[in-house]
Amino acid sequence: MTVDTAAVTTTELVRRSIEGRRFSPANAIVGFALLFTLLSSVLILVTLLADTIAAALPVFASRGLGFVTSSLSPTAASAGIWQGIMGSLALTAFVIAVAFPLGVAAAVYLEEYASDNRVTRFINANIRNLAGVPSIVYGILGLFLFVEILMRGVFGAEGGIGGRNVIAGGLTLAVLVLPIMIITTSEALRAVPGALREASLAVGATRWETIRHQVLPVAIPAILTGTVLTIARAFGESAPLLLAGAQLSLFFSVSADASFVDLVTNQPYTALPIIVFNFARQPQAEFVSLTAAAIVVLLVMLLTVNAVAVLARDRYERRYR
Amino acid sequence: MKSRTIRLLALLGAFALVLAACGGDGSGETTTSEAAADTTEASAEPTTSAEGGEGGDLSGSIVVSGSSTVEPITARVGEAFDGANPGVATSVEGPGTGDGFARFCAGETDISDASRPISEEEIAACEGAGISYVELHIATDGLTVLTSPENEAVTCLAFTDLYALLGPESEGFANWSDANELAAELGAPNAPYAEEPLVITAPGEESGTYDTFVEFVIADFSEERLGADNDFTRADYNASANDNVIVQGITENPTSLGWVGFAFYEANQDVLKALEVDNGESGCIAPNADTIASFEYPLSRPLFIYVNTTDLANRPELTAFVDYYLSDEGLAAVADAGYVQLPAEDIEGTRAAWTGAMG
Amino acid sequence: MAIVEQQRDSRIDLSGDVRRRRRESIVKALFFAAAAISILISVAIVLALIGKAWAFLTSIELNQLWGNGWFPRRGRFDLSALLVHTMMITGIAMLVAVPFGLGSAIYLSEYAKSGVRRVLKPTLEILAGIPSVVLGFFALQFLTPNVVRGIFPGAQSANFLAAGIAVGILTIPLVASVSEDAMRAVPGSLREASYGLGAKQWHTALRVVFPAAISGILAAVILGISRAVGETMVVALAAGLNGIMTFNPTEGGLTMTGAIANLAVGSDQVAGDVAAFQSLFFVGLVLFVLTLGLNVISGRMVRRYRQRY
Repeated sequence: MTVDTAAVTTTELVRRSIEGRRFSPANAIVGFALLFTLLSSVLILVTLLADTIAAALPVFASRGLGFVTSSLSPTAASAGIWQGIMGSLALTAFVIAVAFPLGVAAAVYLEEYASDNRVTRFINANIRNLAGVPSIVYGILGLFLFVEILMRGVFGAEGGIGGRNVIAGGLTLAVLVLPIMIITTSEALRAVPGALREASLAVGATRWETIRHQVLPVAIPAILTGTVLTIARAFGESAPLLLAGAQLSLFFSVSADASFVDLVTNQPYTALPIIVFNFARQPQAEFVSLTAAAIVVLLVMLLTVNAVAVLARDRYERRYR
Repeated sequence: MKSRTIRLLALLGAFALVLAACGGDGSGETTTSEAAADTTEASAEPTTSAEGGEGGDLSGSIVVSGSSTVEPITARVGEAFDGANPGVATSVEGPGTGDGFARFCAGETDISDASRPISEEEIAACEGAGISYVELHIATDGLTVLTSPENEAVTCLAFTDLYALLGPESEGFANWSDANELAAELGAPNAPYAEEPLVITAPGEESGTYDTFVEFVIADFSEERLGADNDFTRADYNASANDNVIVQGITENPTSLGWVGFAFYEANQDVLKALEVDNGESGCIAPNADTIASFEYPLSRPLFIYVNTTDLANRPELTAFVDYYLSDEGLAAVADAGYVQLPAEDIEGTRAAWTGAMG
Repeated sequence: MAIVEQQRDSRIDLSGDVRRRRRESIVKALFFAAAAISILISVAIVLALIGKAWAFLTSIELNQLWGNGWFPRRGRFDLSALLVHTMMITGIAMLVAVPFGLGSAIYLSEYAKSGVRRVLKPTLEILAGIPSVVLGFFALQFLTPNVVRGIFPGAQSANFLAAGIAVGILTIPLVASVSEDAMRAVPGSLREASYGLGAKQWHTALRVVFPAAISGILAAVILGISRAVGETMVVALAAGLNGIMTFNPTEGGLTMTGAIANLAVGSDQVAGDVAAFQSLFFVGLVLFVLTLGLNVISGRMVRRYRQRY
């Protein structure tokens, strides 16, 4: 964003030429203290991972990948997280399907079409505020709007799970990540040089043609990076789903001959972070290692997504700066 | 560049679609195949008998909510039932007896797990919503009053003792001896108590375990002394929804006090001391499988399932589920989950109640 | 074809084909609708909260909101207990997040060479991506037995210290990245001038750059506070269910978010129009207004430093 490596280098040159190579103890102490804070953060991360992996090892040693492919069960020895993985992936697909087009469209409007007037500034401020709203408040919104009003009121879902379906959960998460999606896409669009737009308009293209053929192709890598990071965020969220209706139970099953439509509207679902939360609350001692194992799977999936995004971002930064 | 982007987007979209579609079949198939494989380990007998293995042609859904104490039993039954009937979507949750009844009497659930009988207000709510139900007694649990094994001072506590230590008038008593005055007033047989810190770790208000304790031990005294609407314990104790935390809290303090379900005490017998309980007439009775099953132990409590019978004729899957639950195999889950089995006559009584409700 | 048409027309019409223009306005309208949805979401949130929150407020005595502990099932709605507990968690979290976050930010901005930066900065980003349930489990299984009970052996198994530290860990990356942005926005000329006057690097970093970026740094801290206030899963797992107000960090208790989560997962009697269920929306409204206020203040401070540089 505000990376200005040229200035740092100049400043560094200035500093070295003035200070010379003399060793300053005060500088070393302060520098070390600051480095210590940074390294401590690394240390905390390492401790967290090490402790969790250590607690999770017995499960993987005794059950291997069976843990990942089994379904929930009240008996610790056979409980698995497959339904959580499937549920989380389904929710993520939903979030992409809803938040990606809406987010990109909104950002395109705000960056490319809207003039800098009160309305635009108000919309931008509103989006920034929405990005800071606690996730559980989005859960309340999801409960009120998507479960009660949409699913039960409009679509008349009664009985069974009564509206607490994947669509309601997916919409809740989509609304949660939409502001972030808009903000990251706006930044990606802002990074496209203005000269590109001006040249396109000068040869007679309309705004939309400019955006579609000139601006978006250049901005797409950064937009995709932002999307991937947004997905990672949605994948790890659990507080909104607690309210919006993910199954918080030791066992549930879906009907084996349910159609796709039936599956997303009438069948119970859960998500991997919700399973982690539920396992963590269980009193039996065996569930401690199960929780750790579920966390390891969750972290592996998230780290993969994050690594892809960071690598893509590095490549993009080097190419398009 | 442009074609690469399009390909990337198409890949993402296809990926998402494939996942969503896989999610449909995958979870269903794996659930049933895994559950079927697991139930052969979990339950003692294979689910091939006529009771649970009626056939995979049943469809529909069964929603169970309610007590977290009964949840392990119903979840095991559900798992076994699901193995034999993959066409039925089953879900079992345990948010608490009170919440379970609220959903049950709103018509949202088919079965309500309960660690206490349905209350007056809940009965009225169900009637108001036109929900008819049948109460089925499926197991027995015993509330076990606990202290640390290091606590030599007490072996037995009467209901009057418990009220003096844990009742609504005891808020602020930091030591056992603070309750001496109140105990003397009530005529509690085990007062005066030692001057030791009174550290209480017990279930919170959401649980039926709390409700049962209040109903058995506190309610009569509090109503007599303070009037109606005061049937609560003191508020200043370490409440926890997690029995493991309660067990830990009891173990760590040499003069602790609390209560959990019998299954939890049994699983942690080596680090807990169960106190004998005297309801004023029974004498000091210790909790064990026999005294609980026979209800000799004063804090024995029945565990129920309440089944919505309003539309039973049109719900063959619900009928099949409860049939399976009450069969010998289904009730084996009670022992699996660590609770006390009903004696044979009581099982017959429950089955008769079910047959009566079905007809 | 357009050129032929233009040659026929005496006025030169640069606006072009009608179809293109119409497509243009349709596209613009669609995109505006997408942007306007964000406003709809805000309205929806407020509507979702206000209706039942108002119903709750009108069904209870206002003095019930102060004192006596948060026991919704008993009709005791002590909002002050929830606020105090939230402040305790936030305070402990900030004691962790500000030193580590700011220190890391100053180091990354003023000291780190690009190689070191490239290795260590992603660590903070990875920390930012860890879901809060994981930190809640960490607080319960690692922080409480090893850290909290190491210092205070008599601490309860659910306590504010462990939960607060975990929330602080969650907040470190946020504080670090926003402060770092603020400090990098300070122009190099300020630093060079400082060196020119003979100041050492540490003096420049702490006495020149840091004060110059102070509004951005304050914004970072306020954002961190807002994040800590809104954190749910960590406190749901590690801070306990105690409803009585306590100032003791080795004890635990319900925060605002913990109370909402508790009401939702059925720990208190919920469902329906009972006051206990409606209190969920009321606490949600208080939470929303509080975090909104903090975010608006923080936004103003960010604008101030962006304007200056």
